[in-house]
Amino acid sequence: MSNKINFTETEHLLCATANLIEENKAYWVAIGGPPLMSLLLARAVHAPNVFYVVEDGTVSPQPPAYVAFLSGASGSASYRALAWKDMNTMGFHCALGYYDYGILDCLQVDMYGNINSSFVGGDYEHPKRRFGGPGGANEIASMCWRTIIMTEHEKRKFPKRVEFISSPGYLDGSPQARERAGLPRGTGPYRVVSDKAIFGFDEETRRMKLLAVAPWTTADEVMQDMDFEPLVAESLETVSPPTEEQLAILRGQIDPEGRIVAQGKWIEF
Amino acid sequence: MEVLASGSGVYRTPDPDGHREWVRTHKAREMKSKVMTEKEAVEKFVSDGDYLGYDLNMHKRGPTALFREIVRQKKKDLWVAVRFSGLDPAILIAGGCVSRIDVGWFIQSGTCSKAIEEGKVKTTEWSNSAVVYRQLAGAMGLPFLPLRYLGGSDAFKHSGAKLVKDPFTGQEICLVPALNLDVALVHVYQCDEYGNARIFGAGLSPMETSTCAKKLIISTEEIISNEAIRRQPGLTTIPYYLVDAVVHLPFGTYPGCMPGLYGTDAGHTAELFIADHGGTMDAYLEKWVYGVESNADMLEKLVGANKLVELMKMETIKEGYQA
Repeated sequence: MSNKINFTETEHLLCATANLIEENKAYWVAIGGPPLMSLLLARAVHAPNVFYVVEDGTVSPQPPAYVAFLSGASGSASYRALAWKDMNTMGFHCALGYYDYGILDCLQVDMYGNINSSFVGGDYEHPKRRFGGPGGANEIASMCWRTIIMTEHEKRKFPKRVEFISSPGYLDGSPQARERAGLPRGTGPYRVVSDKAIFGFDEETRRMKLLAVAPWTTADEVMQDMDFEPLVAESLETVSPPTEEQLAILRGQIDPEGRIVAQGKWIEF
Repeated sequence: MEVLASGSGVYRTPDPDGHREWVRTHKAREMKSKVMTEKEAVEKFVSDGDYLGYDLNMHKRGPTALFREIVRQKKKDLWVAVRFSGLDPAILIAGGCVSRIDVGWFIQSGTCSKAIEEGKVKTTEWSNSAVVYRQLAGAMGLPFLPLRYLGGSDAFKHSGAKLVKDPFTGQEICLVPALNLDVALVHVYQCDEYGNARIFGAGLSPMETSTCAKKLIISTEEIISNEAIRRQPGLTTIPYYLVDAVVHLPFGTYPGCMPGLYGTDAGHTAELFIADHGGTMDAYLEKWVYGVESNADMLEKLVGANKLVELMKMETIKEGYQA
């Protein structure tokens, strides 16, 4: 009998992000999709007391796990919350420093952790392909102490510079670039999690730095699928693959219809 | 105050004193019934060229029936404060009602993207919170407010924000101009005939959106007595003097959900998404908007009582959504 398990790249991305989530910290997560799925996964497996808010003002609810897919459009997403507030209140509490982590997904992320979710091609007045805009990601990326960014691992997702900074990373990477733009001191992107690797940011240069690689790929392969060359940590770690417990919760509770987890290539490991 | 950088985006210059004068001369302090039909409310209070905003979106507790009425009356040249939206801007844009939007965020939409790419709808970039924060400034009667986000991004560069040196600390800080909407639409659970209104559940910006507007149309699932309001004043989200029109619109957010009362009509929502992405919004609007006279007419002819009962049964979580 084989001891190998099968999972999709997306399932790995969700589990690798969930593994970063810490008990008794406060998270501001994007209201639907992979960030909330990872948070609910972490809650179910290893961090039952993790606190989260979403931008409509729902404060740490206990929703049915399947709402993560489209939680902005469902009453169930606010079930058993601690409080029902509003968007500006979330912003006030974030500005005050209460929210330790933000979790976001993105269209593109560049070497300084800047995020584009507005358009690709053309210019601002004449975009070739227009997308939804900064949304709540700008405030999350600006004011949470640390931001975790989730992305599929493709070359077009990792441009050298994003075409449009919808939400700020370390901007041009210069010292105090964020503070000079009026953003709170000591904040910024913390990790970028892809389905192949985990990156951090260099303290000095603010450039993205490869920290860990999934066990079925190599650092070279990871970097081939990027438009810029990240710094590489002196000792590279291995990203843990999903556990059977995580996969059971993802498939059985969080996304039983496979609307998100079924995306991406299958890995056998 | 030293201005270090200015966004190039188009914004309406704040006019707090002008807003006060409007309030003085146009807003009724008298407790009088404001109940009217959606047709009357939109005819009377939505004008071509208005700056329009609303609370939440068409998929959850938003004023969806009022959006349809605006399209039905073929309002033109609206400037819409779009943040945390669903396909509500798509409906308004497909109806030919919109010339400019503020972009907080819109859901992936063929209609919205195409209109912007083709230059038919102009944009100013902000973020979700920045749009409602501007409404907070408007609701406070101020010309601007400082904030700890938006700065540094290209969204800032294409917004109407400014980066200044804070005169108190000498630190850089971003400022956004107040937004006082011409007309706001808010869908509520209950209100009395004067407009004292109750909202249950997480709200995006009910207070800011209602308070910053020159004209406020409330649509409500239920009209309750003023006596009921006075018995539990702590539940009043919006006091009557902010309100210009009260429209009784049960299932007013259909096909979206009203948490605690009814769920989403998934079939209708899928039909809308397909129309939006497939470029067949004209046929969608013909069926759901132009082909009927009102929300009640649409519910009777195209939805039916059985479906409405089904949607009510779906919504099993009631806690927190009742007085």
